Amino acid sequence: MTETLPPQERTEPRPGGFRLPEIPGPFETAVMAWRWLRRMSTALLLLFMLAAAAVLATFVPQEPVIARTVAEWRAGVAGPGEGWARVFDALSLFDVFGSWWFMTLTVLLFISLTGCLIPRYAAFAKVARRQPPAGRNLERLELHTTLETALGPDEALAAAKKALKGYRRRRTTSAEGTPQLAAERGHWREGGSLVFHTAFYVLLIGIVIGHSFGWTGQVNVVEGEAFTDTTLGYQAEVPGRFWDAGDHRGFTLRLDDFDVSYHENFVPADFLSTVTITQGHDEVVRGAPIRVNHPLVYEGMKIYQARFGYAPEVVIRTPEGTELFRAPVTLVQSGPIWLGREKVTPGNPATGAPQIAVELALIPDGAIVDGQLRINSPEARNPRLAISLYAGDLGLERPVPLANLPWREDQLVGQAMLQPGGTAEMLQGNLIVEFEGLPMWSGFQVSHAPGRGILLAAAILVLAGLIPSLYSYRRRVWVEASPHGGGSQLLLAGVALHRKPAFAEEFTRIRDRLATATNAHKD
Amino acid sequence: MVNEQLAGTSNALFNAAFVTYIGAMVCYFFRLAFTKVSARGVTSSTTTGARIGWLATTLAMAGWGVHLASVVTRGIAAGGRVPWGNMYEYSSTMALLVVAVGLVVVQRRFGYGHLMGFVIAAAVLMMTSALLLFAEAGPLVPALNSYWIKIHTSAAMGASSIFIVAFAATALYLVKDTAERRVASTSTFSGSTVGAGSIVEADNRPVGYEADGGLEERVASPFAQRDTLSPVLFPLVPALVVVVFTLLVWRAPAPAIIAGGVAALLGILSWYAIPYLPVAAKLDNLAYRTTAFAFPIWTFAIMAGAIWAEEAWGRYWGWDPKETGSFFTWVLYAAYLHSRSTYGWRGRRAAWIGVVAFLALMVTYYAVNLFVVGLHSYAGT
Repeated sequence: MTETLPPQERTEPRPGGFRLPEIPGPFETAVMAWRWLRRMSTALLLLFMLAAAAVLATFVPQEPVIARTVAEWRAGVAGPGEGWARVFDALSLFDVFGSWWFMTLTVLLFISLTGCLIPRYAAFAKVARRQPPAGRNLERLELHTTLETALGPDEALAAAKKALKGYRRRRTTSAEGTPQLAAERGHWREGGSLVFHTAFYVLLIGIVIGHSFGWTGQVNVVEGEAFTDTTLGYQAEVPGRFWDAGDHRGFTLRLDDFDVSYHENFVPADFLSTVTITQGHDEVVRGAPIRVNHPLVYEGMKIYQARFGYAPEVVIRTPEGTELFRAPVTLVQSGPIWLGREKVTPGNPATGAPQIAVELALIPDGAIVDGQLRINSPEARNPRLAISLYAGDLGLERPVPLANLPWREDQLVGQAMLQPGGTAEMLQGNLIVEFEGLPMWSGFQVSHAPGRGILLAAAILVLAGLIPSLYSYRRRVWVEASPHGGGSQLLLAGVALHRKPAFAEEFTRIRDRLATATNAHKD
Repeated sequence: MVNEQLAGTSNALFNAAFVTYIGAMVCYFFRLAFTKVSARGVTSSTTTGARIGWLATTLAMAGWGVHLASVVTRGIAAGGRVPWGNMYEYSSTMALLVVAVGLVVVQRRFGYGHLMGFVIAAAVLMMTSALLLFAEAGPLVPALNSYWIKIHTSAAMGASSIFIVAFAATALYLVKDTAERRVASTSTFSGSTVGAGSIVEADNRPVGYEADGGLEERVASPFAQRDTLSPVLFPLVPALVVVVFTLLVWRAPAPAIIAGGVAALLGILSWYAIPYLPVAAKLDNLAYRTTAFAFPIWTFAIMAGAIWAEEAWGRYWGWDPKETGSFFTWVLYAAYLHSRSTYGWRGRRAAWIGVVAFLALMVTYYAVNLFVVGLHSYAGT
């Protein structure tokens, strides 16, 4: 007990280790955390974690990018297995960039950045305002040389001022009272670095604005058909937090025509949608082309060419002529052929009416040679449509894409291979299936992305700051002029704060420039 | 549209350049045997050495000219477009740039001719991968058909080729620095490693390359540096890395074994070259200067890519695997540049970050294009 100790012993240093360590209070903890975040090594650690997160996101499929692969990983069809998929889900590895921990990492990085920048701003503001300091004991510097000139000290220093263009210059006197020109350059190294780092806040603002007020949607349109720019008009949409349904422009876009041409190796050479936009009753844009890399802009909405495919027009009717189904079915490419499924009737469990659906496979131009499918052309020069009719409990009510539903062999109730205009009877002649025509569909990505200007500005600032921060070097140069004979003797000296080896060469050039400017001869 | 005959000429020129480069590489390495090194690290070639060196430079320049012709004819053959529309062409053009950077920057500007064998070797490896990825000359797929391919792709290519040269310098720096440290700790010489790792020395000796005065007394013979390192790990580690990487990406055992053999050869040559290498601080400086040059170009490439993505796909950034890959490569190179100004991270630790960043670049280029499905997957076909 300390009270029992004699007073003289109290002043002695305590032997370490018998007192409990002080537990920091909330304020001290906050200060410690702030100090930790301000350290450069912490910033490096956070950068490594950011890189590690990005590596994970490269090799683990990301749900917002390829949802289908993620579904396959979860089902154990692809990837390391169901168990791992559950672990990945628990760690949000299927959506790294939307996860709480990535958000935390970003916030920590920005706090760290702020912590590093504030003192640097303060220091830079001081340094940038300061005039070049007067040099002392110049002849002791490693890089110094003398020149003799016929000019007087004042005139010589005026000439030197011109020779040291690009430097911040100041006339002063040395400690001994000799007239001196002090010059300094390279403030843009720190300034550029500050601009570079500050640009990331601008980038963040641009991203936040884009995500808050922006909107993205996808829509597939069949030739001759149209969609309207409303929330219901799109097949998928990603609205920003502050995007309102009323922000839609309400135009109607009709796909007049879609063209695709192929190279000899069946790779698409070019594909082009021709569209007409109507707003109200006016055709505001008529017959405009949209192709890859050439989007159409209408009232701040950008319409991009994304996907395309065939959309065979299929009609199913009873022999009496009642149409059960009539629609173009959008097919997607699967190797050389095109596949798709479509609901015909949703069925009714109460009445016992079965669910009916069709599965289509289109061969644009091919033939079966020796039991093998041979494709002559990817263009629909001689199209054949294989129609399979399924009935029974097909799971159409499930919230699963039709393509992923497992339909059984015994649910297949009819099959036919048709040419355009061809018909086939199914279910003992109770249904007639017709392949009416073969239009194409075109998939558009429509987006409104405010904040793009801010992002561009941020990008320019990043580069504008980065380049001087890497290539600008702090240098100080002094010229002292003392009367000598009829003219003066110049003492030139310099010191480099960065990249010293290169400065030796630069110093020689400065000396030559000074000699030329003052008409001097070198010692 | 495709000029088959010209495409054939381009392929023949490619093979000719490939063989010439191998000749140049062999000459560059062979010259080491005819080089004397003084204790101060000043190298001088014998007459034979000078002749071999001259032959090496001539072969490298001739190979470069032939290679350039191959790249240009390829572009014309494919219908008058940029010659970097698929991975074969991209790898070939990148190798062309690597050799150009080597000749202009490493050999001419820095005067480190002894590094050129490694630089040419990098180009040869790049061209080997190009052969593995060979695709017939053909027109561009529509998504690539934009003037942005000139801006975005050439910036990415330029930056990558400089990063490759930077990596050669970084790896050799680590080798040289290890050797210098070993000598310092085993000999009676008073602990001069000359490395950037020893920026702060207890005796306040000036740093690195400035410490030229008095080196003679302080540094052991550069050949002693080689003797301190066992040559066993030098071929093994690079061979293992290259074999595993090639097997993972291509799943082709034969190229993996050949590439592994080449990596092993380069590993043992880097051991052999230890006495002839510039001092560690100079290698570190070369690595830093090249990386600092390439980093803004890489930054610009990512930005241009974002603008192009906005134009083509309707979003500037979608965390597509390629975008993510280029992003983590950027972050790691940023970490490298930051580590250079962080106390306790300079020198070897920074260099290791540089190595990791380079691996990230290779993963972004090869693995992401060939292995991961994404919007850039067409680049492989």
